[in-house]
Amino acid sequence: MAEAPFEPKIVAFLCRWCAGAGADLAGTSRIAYPSNAVPIRVNCSGRVEPEWVMEAFRSGADGVLIGGCHPGDCHYVSGNYKTRRRVYLLRKVLAEMGIEPERVRLEWVSATEGAKYARVMKEFVAELKKLGPLSLERKEKEPTAAPVLPRVGS
Amino acid sequence: MGRGPRIGVFVCHCGKNIATTVDVPRVVEALARHPGVAYAARHEYMCSDPGQDVVKKAIKDHRLTGVVVAACSPSMHETTFRNAAEEAGLNPYLVEIANIREWCSWVHDGPVTTDKAIRITRAMVEKVKGNHPLEPVEVGHAVKCLVVGGGISGIQAALDIADAGYEVLLVERSPSIGGRMAQLSETFPTLDCSQCILTPKMVEASRHPRIRLLTYSEVESVTGYLGNYHVTIRKKPTYVDPDKCNLCGDCARVCPVRVPSEFDQGLSERAAIYVPFPQAVPSSYTLDEVNCLGLNPLRCSECSKVCTVGAINYDMREERIEEDVGAIVLATGYDLYGKEMMGEYGHGTVPDVIDGLEFERILSAGGPTKGEVRRPSDGKVPKEVVFIQCSGSRDPELHKSYCSKICCMYTAKHALLYRHNVHDGTAYVFYIDIRAGGKEYEEFVVRAMEDERILYLRGKVAKVFRDGDKVVVWGVDTLTGKRIEVAADLVVLAQAMVPSAGTEELARKLHIACGGEGFLKEAHPKLRPLEALTAGIFLAGAAHGPKDIPEAVAQGSGAAAKAIAILASPTLTHSPEVAEVDEDLCSGCAVCVPQCPYGAITPGDVAHVNELLCEGCGTCVAACPSGAMRMKNQTDAQVKRMIQVALGGEPVEVSRG
Amino acid sequence: MAAKPKIAVYWTGGCGGCDVSFLELGVALLDVLAQIEIVFWPALVDTKRADVESFAPRSIAATLVNGTLRTEENVEMVHLLREKSQLVVAFGACAYQGGVPGLANLASREDILHRMSTNGFHPTPPPGGEREDAPPELLPQAKSLADEIAVDYVVPGCPPMPPLIGLLFDALLSGDLPAPSHVFAHDKALCEECPRTREDRVLSKVVRPHELIPDPKVCLLDQGMICMGPVIRGGCGAACPKAGMPCTGCVGPTPNAGDPGLAMISALGSLVRAGEEGPGAFAAEDKLLDALVDPLGTFYKYSLPAYVRTGRRSNR
Repeated sequence: MAEAPFEPKIVAFLCRWCAGAGADLAGTSRIAYPSNAVPIRVNCSGRVEPEWVMEAFRSGADGVLIGGCHPGDCHYVSGNYKTRRRVYLLRKVLAEMGIEPERVRLEWVSATEGAKYARVMKEFVAELKKLGPLSLERKEKEPTAAPVLPRVGS
Repeated sequence: MGRGPRIGVFVCHCGKNIATTVDVPRVVEALARHPGVAYAARHEYMCSDPGQDVVKKAIKDHRLTGVVVAACSPSMHETTFRNAAEEAGLNPYLVEIANIREWCSWVHDGPVTTDKAIRITRAMVEKVKGNHPLEPVEVGHAVKCLVVGGGISGIQAALDIADAGYEVLLVERSPSIGGRMAQLSETFPTLDCSQCILTPKMVEASRHPRIRLLTYSEVESVTGYLGNYHVTIRKKPTYVDPDKCNLCGDCARVCPVRVPSEFDQGLSERAAIYVPFPQAVPSSYTLDEVNCLGLNPLRCSECSKVCTVGAINYDMREERIEEDVGAIVLATGYDLYGKEMMGEYGHGTVPDVIDGLEFERILSAGGPTKGEVRRPSDGKVPKEVVFIQCSGSRDPELHKSYCSKICCMYTAKHALLYRHNVHDGTAYVFYIDIRAGGKEYEEFVVRAMEDERILYLRGKVAKVFRDGDKVVVWGVDTLTGKRIEVAADLVVLAQAMVPSAGTEELARKLHIACGGEGFLKEAHPKLRPLEALTAGIFLAGAAHGPKDIPEAVAQGSGAAAKAIAILASPTLTHSPEVAEVDEDLCSGCAVCVPQCPYGAITPGDVAHVNELLCEGCGTCVAACPSGAMRMKNQTDAQVKRMIQVALGGEPVEVSRG
Repeated sequence: MAAKPKIAVYWTGGCGGCDVSFLELGVALLDVLAQIEIVFWPALVDTKRADVESFAPRSIAATLVNGTLRTEENVEMVHLLREKSQLVVAFGACAYQGGVPGLANLASREDILHRMSTNGFHPTPPPGGEREDAPPELLPQAKSLADEIAVDYVVPGCPPMPPLIGLLFDALLSGDLPAPSHVFAHDKALCEECPRTREDRVLSKVVRPHELIPDPKVCLLDQGMICMGPVIRGGCGAACPKAGMPCTGCVGPTPNAGDPGLAMISALGSLVRAGEEGPGAFAAEDKLLDALVDPLGTFYKYSLPAYVRTGRRSNR
C-alpha cells in the first residue's frame, strides 16, 4: 500500500479577540483552508507559554501557530508584545536545539482578516510540508572532517 | 456514584451547517468512547429550546460534572448554554463550547472535517475535566466620586455625578475652578462669551449640595482599587476665611507686592493677596504665601489691618482630607507648549510674539487691555498681525509630533475677533492645512477667510525676529512658491497643547499610564476611550489629548456616566476566570508584576492578584517562571492535556455515503 | 543495637566535586559516619566492582550516585547498584539532570571522539593491551541517572550544598523518608532566599557577569544579568547572587516550573523593554535579546540531557 502523503499536524493557539475572531470570520465567509490545525482558544496570545509549544512538538505536532492581535490592537494592551519577544527568543533556542524555528509561527490576524487567517494556514501547511515531519530524536551525524569544537589551547 | 468526571457531549447539526461536512453521528460515537464522557448526544439545533432541554435533562439524568457543546463559535452561544446549565443545577463555568462550525465545518471538506471536529471536541472535553466550579467575584464599594480638575470637563463630570445622586469631591489645584475656559474671550464657532456660559456652571458646582469643592488643593496619594480607592487630598491654606471675605478688595490695594497674574498669562500684575478673576469660585481672596512678604504679621500685615471683616488669618494651616471613593475622574487639562521652546520664533524673548492664551486675555473684556487689542510692548494697537498655526505641533523633529486639533479653529477666531476690533488692521494666518472637522467649524473658517478678508498663507514660518518696533516674519507661501516677509506689529503663535504640569506625577500616584507625549492613556483607543487602564479611573478633557470645549464637556459627561455605573451598582461583580497565585510556590520574584496592564498584581513575599482588577489575559501566568501562577480553568495542565488529545490517536476513519 | 545502614557512594561521569562535598558537612560528617557503614565508595574505600557483585540484592540501604552517565560502564554499574540497593539517590546536578558534562550533547559522540583523538587520546587498548583494558565505550549521548534506572530521591546542586546533604542524611538515618521522587531542596524559587531588592522589574539590557560590577543590593536580573533564580529551587541560601554572581541553575527547576529553559524564555521575553512597547521598539528588543549569548547553555547548564533533544521524558 502506498504511503499517504505527509500531512503536517498543527496546533493553533488563537486569541479570543482577534485571531480567533478572524478564524470565525473565515468560517462565516466560507473561505476554505487546510484542516491540519487543531485550534485552541486563549484569551490573549500573551497566555501562550513556550512550554505549550514544546508540549505540542512532543505530542506529535509538526508546527505551532500563535495568532494574536495586530500591534496596538491587543485587547489587553500589550500581551501580544510579550508574545512576540517570547517567540523571538524561543525560535532562537529552538534553532540551537536543532528544531527549525519556522515551525513556530506568530501571526497578527485581526477580527476582520478571515482571508488572512486562511492564507496563513495555507502558507504554513505548505511550509511544513517542505520541512517534513518533526523529529525530536537526535539525528546522529557522520563524524565531520575537522573538529567541530574549538580547540582548547593551541 | 463514581468520583471521576462525568462529561456530557452535545453535538449540534446546526441544520446543514455542520452536518453537511461533519459526520455528526460519527462524532457522537467517537466522543462517547472518550474517557470521562458519560453521555453523548446530538440535536438538529442545539441552541433551540428543545436542544437546550436535551442538555438540561442530561445534566440531571446523568449527573453530569461538565458539559461540552460542539457547535458554533463560543461568541454565539457560550452564554446560552452556561445559563441553561445553571438552570439545571450545574455551575456555568463547567460548560465549554467546542467550535466545530466556524473553525471546521464551514471551511473544510471531506473526511478530514469529521476528524478535526472530533479532535476539537475531545480537546474541549479534556479542558472541562480540569475545570472547577467558579463563582463571580463580588465586592462592595464606596459611593462617592473624586473628580480631579475644576475646568469645564471636570465641572461637567462633577455636576452629572452629583445630579445622579452621588457625592462628589471636586479637587482643583488653583484658587478657583473654571480652568482654561475661564480665560477665553469668546468661543468658536458661535462667538459666545466664554465666561458668560461657564460661570453659571461654576456657581452651580459650588452650590450643589452633593459637591464638595476643594480648591487650592492637590491629590497627595491614592491607594486601593476599583470601587474602593482611599484618597488623601492636601488643601493649602488660603489664609482668608471664605465665609467672611466679602471681596471688597481693600487687602489687594494695600498689598505692597506685585507679581505677574497667572490668570492674565503674565500680561498684568496681581498682589500677593488676590482673587484670580472677578467671577472666581469660591469667591474669596487667597493669600499666596510664596510671594507674601511674610506671614509674620510684624513684617507687613497691611492686608490684615485693612480687612474690616477680619477674614485674614495668618495662622491658617494646611489641611489633609481623607476620603473613600468608588471611582475617580481625571480632568487635569492642558498647558500651552512654552514659547521659550520656539527658537525659530525668538525663544519667547520678543515681547510682541505672544501665544494664543495671551491673545485670549488681550481680547477679553476683563483682560489687561479691557478687551482692546493692544500689544504688550508699548500698548499700541497693532495694524498688522501674523498668526502662526502649528507652532510646536506637527513637528516631530523639533517639537511635538501630534496635531493640537483646536488651533485651526481658535486662530480663525482670533483673526476674526482682531478684525472686529481693529477694522483697518490686516491679519495674516500661516497654516500647514486647515483642519476644521466639527459642527459648523468649516463654515466658520470660510467666514473668517472670505467675509473678514483674512489672508491665509499656506506655508511654514521659518523665522520671527524683532526689528525696531516691528516683528519681522519670514515665511513661504507654498501655493505660489513666493517668499513672504511681513513687518508685523504683533505675532500670535498657536502653540501646541501639552498635558498640564504635574500630569505625569499624578499618573504615577494613581499607577496609570501616560502615552509618549505625556497625555493620560486610555484603556483602548477605540473601545474604551473614557477609561484608564486601571479600573475605576476615568479620563475627561484635554488631559487625555487635545480637545475643544464641546468634546471636553462630552467626555466629562461620558466619564461621569462610567463612574455612575460603578457608584450605582449594589456590588461590583467580575468574571472569576482570572489569575491566581499558589502561595506555597510563589517566591515573590515579581516577574509577573510589570506584565499586568491593569495593576492587578501586588508584589510582596508572595504576589497577590486582585481578582476585581484582573481581566484574565493570562500574560502574567505565562511569564511566571516558577509555575506559581495559575489561570483559573485554563491551567497549564489543562492546556497540555488539550494539546495531547488534539494531536493524539489515529485519524478517524470515516466512511461516508 | 540494630546494624548500621549500609551506604554506597558511586561516581560516574563527574568531576569529583560531589565526593568532596561531603567534607563540607564539617564535624557533622563524623556523626554521620558513626551511624553508617560504607560498603562501597571508590573515591574513599578500596572496593571493586566484584565486591558489589557479591552483595545480596537490596542489601545496600542507599546508594548515592553522582555524575553523568557517559559510558557503557557507567550504565552497567548503576544497574548493578540499583539491583543491590533499597534506595538510589541521584546526588548532584549531573546525576539529577545530566549536569555540566551533559552540555556535550550539543556535539555528537563522533565529534567528541574525533576531538579527543586529535588531542592525542585514543579510546583503544594501549599497545599490547587486552580488549578489556580499553576505556569503556562512550554512549551516544550523556544521560541523567533517571534515564537508566529508577531514582528514589534527589539531592541537587553542583555540588550539593551542606544543608541539602544534611536533609538527606536526616531522612535516611531517622527512617522518616519523604515521598518517592522527593528533591531535597525548597519548593519555592531562589528569589525567596535572595536578599537583593527587586525594584524596576524590567530587563533593559543583557550583560554577562564579567561585564558588570553589580550593585550589591539590587536584583541581578534588574541589572541585566541572566539570573536563573526565579525558576530555580531555593535551598542553597542564594549563595551565588549574594556573592554578585547570577544563579546558573545547579539546584534545578522548581516543581511547577516545567522546563527551566522554556520558563526563562517566557519570563525574559516578558521582562524585556527597549523603550515604550510597540512596533517602534521591536528591532531594539530583538537586539537586546540577541545580546543573550548562548541561551541554550545558559538555560540548561545543568540539565541539557533532561530536557533537550530527547523528547522522551520531562523530569518533574
